[in-house]
Amino acid sequence: MSKELKNITDNIMDQIHDEKIKMRPKAYFILGSILTFVGLVSSVVVSVFLVGLIRFSLRSHGPMASYRLDQILSSFPWWAPVLAIVGLVLGIWLLRKYDFSFKVNFKVVIVGFILAVIVGGWIIDSVGLNDVLIRRGPMQGIMRQYMQDNNIQGGQGNGPGWGRNLRN
Amino acid sequence: MSETLKLTDEEIVEKVRSNDRDLYAVIIERYKNKLLRYATNLVHDNDKASHIVQDSLVKAYINLNGFNTKKKFSSWVYRIVHNESMNALKKYKGEVPMLEDFDFESEQDITKEFEQKETAIYVEKCLKSIPLIYSEPLSLYYLDEKSYEEISDILRIPMGTVAIRMSRAKKLMKHICQKN
Repeated sequence: MSKELKNITDNIMDQIHDEKIKMRPKAYFILGSILTFVGLVSSVVVSVFLVGLIRFSLRSHGPMASYRLDQILSSFPWWAPVLAIVGLVLGIWLLRKYDFSFKVNFKVVIVGFILAVIVGGWIIDSVGLNDVLIRRGPMQGIMRQYMQDNNIQGGQGNGPGWGRNLRN
Repeated sequence: MSETLKLTDEEIVEKVRSNDRDLYAVIIERYKNKLLRYATNLVHDNDKASHIVQDSLVKAYINLNGFNTKKKFSSWVYRIVHNESMNALKKYKGEVPMLEDFDFESEQDITKEFEQKETAIYVEKCLKSIPLIYSEPLSLYYLDEKSYEEISDILRIPMGTVAIRMSRAKKLMKHICQKN
């Protein structure tokens, strides 16, 4: 048996007593969870905007098409993808650091989440749920403010799809 | 002190977290030999394994507040050793391991069933010649006496995958070890 292993208890306990190693506070782990949650919520927000933008660009034809696309690109909420990425990266980094969870394959989680967000965003746009959110849902305030700030006409019963409403 | 020894790992962790830092020594004593054997089976190098175990136990202490006491502490600490061992394997990839005769301190009663001991020796000997993805669950099952569920938690693979790897590992063991 190695001498080092025999002293392992003393080595570690000495480091603890000398405060060379300290337990991370609970707040550290709570922060990791919050950042991940913020990242996930931001990703959902960005997915709705992003999918709307993609659908709009796919449908946009005619003389004003490029102008409308430029308008959307210039008023796109870039904070959302930035916040989503920062939140996810920081959150996952923190969570990986303390390896708290069991049987979580982060690669699968991330890929699965991105796919779910894209599909979810597409469905939300297709069924016109984002119009409902603008009028009644929890996003009402943010969406109204955003659309007012950017002089975008909101959907008033013009059928499903944010992109479609922008065209009308 | 004898009352402390009766406490479960999770209960000790709770006490360590609520300011009884000295109790962490009990955790170290409970796990250091088991973890050393596990790490040695992964990296096939005694010195590296010692470092891995020490680093893992330090890491476990630092992150003790992140441990969920509703889960098994043993799975959590084995997982940390697994991660540290994988990092070490990546770091020292290509190096030839030097495994000297190594005498592990056994916490088991010497009079424990002969058959079990013989199986453990046989498994340990053959493990080195089997790919890591098969030898690891086998080592956890036979040498560390972990259940499929615990192995699944430690390796973060579904229980079905554990069963498949175990089955393949046994076939490989039979094939390779019968040759030797």
